[in-house]
Amino acid sequence: MPPYPGLAPGVSFILMDPAAITITAEPLNVERCKFVVGVPVYNGGLRRFTAPHEAHGSPLAEALFAIPGAEVQEIIVSGNLVTVVKASTLPWQVLGKQIGAAIREALAGPVPAIAAKAEVAAGDVDDDTLYERVSRLFDEEVNPMVARHGGRVELIDVQDAVVMLRMAGGCQGCGMADVTLRQGIEGMLGQRVPEVKGIMDITDHTAGENPYFAASKK
Amino acid sequence: MRTPTSPPRRSNLPPLRVLLLLPTSTYRTTAFVEAARRLGAQLTVASERPSTFEAAQPDGLLTLDFQHPERAADAARRFATEHPIAGVVAVDDDTAVAQAAIAVALGLSGNPVAAARAARDKHQQRMLMSAAGVAVPQFSLQAIAADPRTLAATTRYPCVLKPLRLSASRGVIRANDSAEFVAAHSRLSRILTAPEFAGCGEWAEKFLVEDFVPGPEVALEGLLVSGRLHVLALFDKPDPLDGPFFEETIYVTPSRLPDAAQAAIAACAQEATRALGLVHGPIHAELRWNDKGAWLIELAARPIGGRCSAALRFTAGERGRGKGDVSLEEIVIRHALGMELPALERETDAAGVMMIPVPGAGVLRDVQGIDAAKRVSLIESVEITAHRGQELVPLPEGARYPGFIFARGDSPSVVETALRAAHAKLRFDVESPAT
Repeated sequence: MPPYPGLAPGVSFILMDPAAITITAEPLNVERCKFVVGVPVYNGGLRRFTAPHEAHGSPLAEALFAIPGAEVQEIIVSGNLVTVVKASTLPWQVLGKQIGAAIREALAGPVPAIAAKAEVAAGDVDDDTLYERVSRLFDEEVNPMVARHGGRVELIDVQDAVVMLRMAGGCQGCGMADVTLRQGIEGMLGQRVPEVKGIMDITDHTAGENPYFAASKK
Repeated sequence: MRTPTSPPRRSNLPPLRVLLLLPTSTYRTTAFVEAARRLGAQLTVASERPSTFEAAQPDGLLTLDFQHPERAADAARRFATEHPIAGVVAVDDDTAVAQAAIAVALGLSGNPVAAARAARDKHQQRMLMSAAGVAVPQFSLQAIAADPRTLAATTRYPCVLKPLRLSASRGVIRANDSAEFVAAHSRLSRILTAPEFAGCGEWAEKFLVEDFVPGPEVALEGLLVSGRLHVLALFDKPDPLDGPFFEETIYVTPSRLPDAAQAAIAACAQEATRALGLVHGPIHAELRWNDKGAWLIELAARPIGGRCSAALRFTAGERGRGKGDVSLEEIVIRHALGMELPALERETDAAGVMMIPVPGAGVLRDVQGIDAAKRVSLIESVEITAHRGQELVPLPEGARYPGFIFARGDSPSVVETALRAAHAKLRFDVESPAT
């Protein structure tokens, strides 16, 4: 791997034929799609971009925010995963090709697709780090649990150590959603990611179409 | 969007653990869970079906067999050896008996099990109240398998056919003559013999036939403290409940009945609790008022159902008089934990809730006009609890409201007007079974 000036420790990249990079799109819903890339995109943990100005110096993020009509709202990159959140109504089938092309082009470039994140003062835990830990907890433990009731919990954001999440599937509109949230998820966060200060459910539970438990009279 | 994160505790007491008996079919989850959090109580939620998080959070989640209170009490006793419980709260009819059994097993404050069982069964409560001189409709217990024509010939009209355990007027039908009785019996029989109630025991094989009591109906929300009834709220039900079905719609408090009538109603409810042997915790009673006085129609050892409790707010004490800072659920949990109680005095504003009537049988496709309904003056919230694709079933067979509308204002009349105006804005798109 050739050395490049300014390369941060722990950050690696490869020069390769863009066409050789495999990318699989896994839409989570109309707003959110996960792209599984055949090679590592960012090895420095997790980076999250919520606005174009945050993408400066990271060619992949810059390119994704610049896709015409996509209205990209957020990009989360970790390992070989790139999650894109959009406001556009364009389907993922249409945008996926442009996003795939942007990923291939950025990975084939001479500088890292994603720049290393700035150092955090000792003792502080930044929101990106919390996001990464919470995301892993959700992927590895929380979602396998709620999936048994047809549910899914999406991590939307971590701001000032407050976790914002959205419940979907059997959890959305479920009569026991608050028990899952407070007695289940919040309890696990308190044990595994104690730096989290709070939890906010932004689910529109009235829009749930298949709640696992439905309330009845009295 | 709900925003609670880490609410401050309202007490300097060390955290006490409350065991909340929360059936999976309840509307009450959010109200009780948030109340426990506001009080800073440690919370264990017990349901009849396991949470997928129970293994990961064994101190916060528990599965209990509410249909067999003694088994529930044994399981709660085992749980309490590792996680001491300071109070137990039931949220509905199904859990009230289990609550009593658990309280006895753990040596906690609660109702006698026999009293909770009596309150659960409409025939038993009629028998006990009647024997104690409480004014109840004249009644008889009948077998659903009996010949309806024979029963109809010996019944006094108008009468009401009523299942022994179902809630919220489900299965309750008025009959004005023998032909209507036979038709009502057929309908009630279909409800009680549905697969939902198969194996439920004797209660689903019997029903009450009782006199129809004319007059306005009210709902009394109360708290029993050492046997003494504290009336928390008296709701008028301004829509006439004359049958043939008895769909609950609007509740408005304070009541517009004369003070003397309200006092008589409260006295009747207190006598009814004594007749049943209830001494502790919330009660919800339905009564009627006419020229013969107050009549006890039903009484349950639980707080008000549905999401209706959101209409109630209580003062935090002398300094908060008139303001509504405390929820009904906070009062119930405080009482169960033996914590200091607030003034048990409702806020000064009038308040009301509409349980949105089922607009018709069929599959709910959409609800329109929600924003317009919310913009009606004095409306606090419009909560559509039915989901798209849900089958809506009207009374007497139905068991779910499509949603709730809440209003608050200076007087009961303006609150009632606001609720009706908001409801008129809603448009339900229901696909009927025939289409």
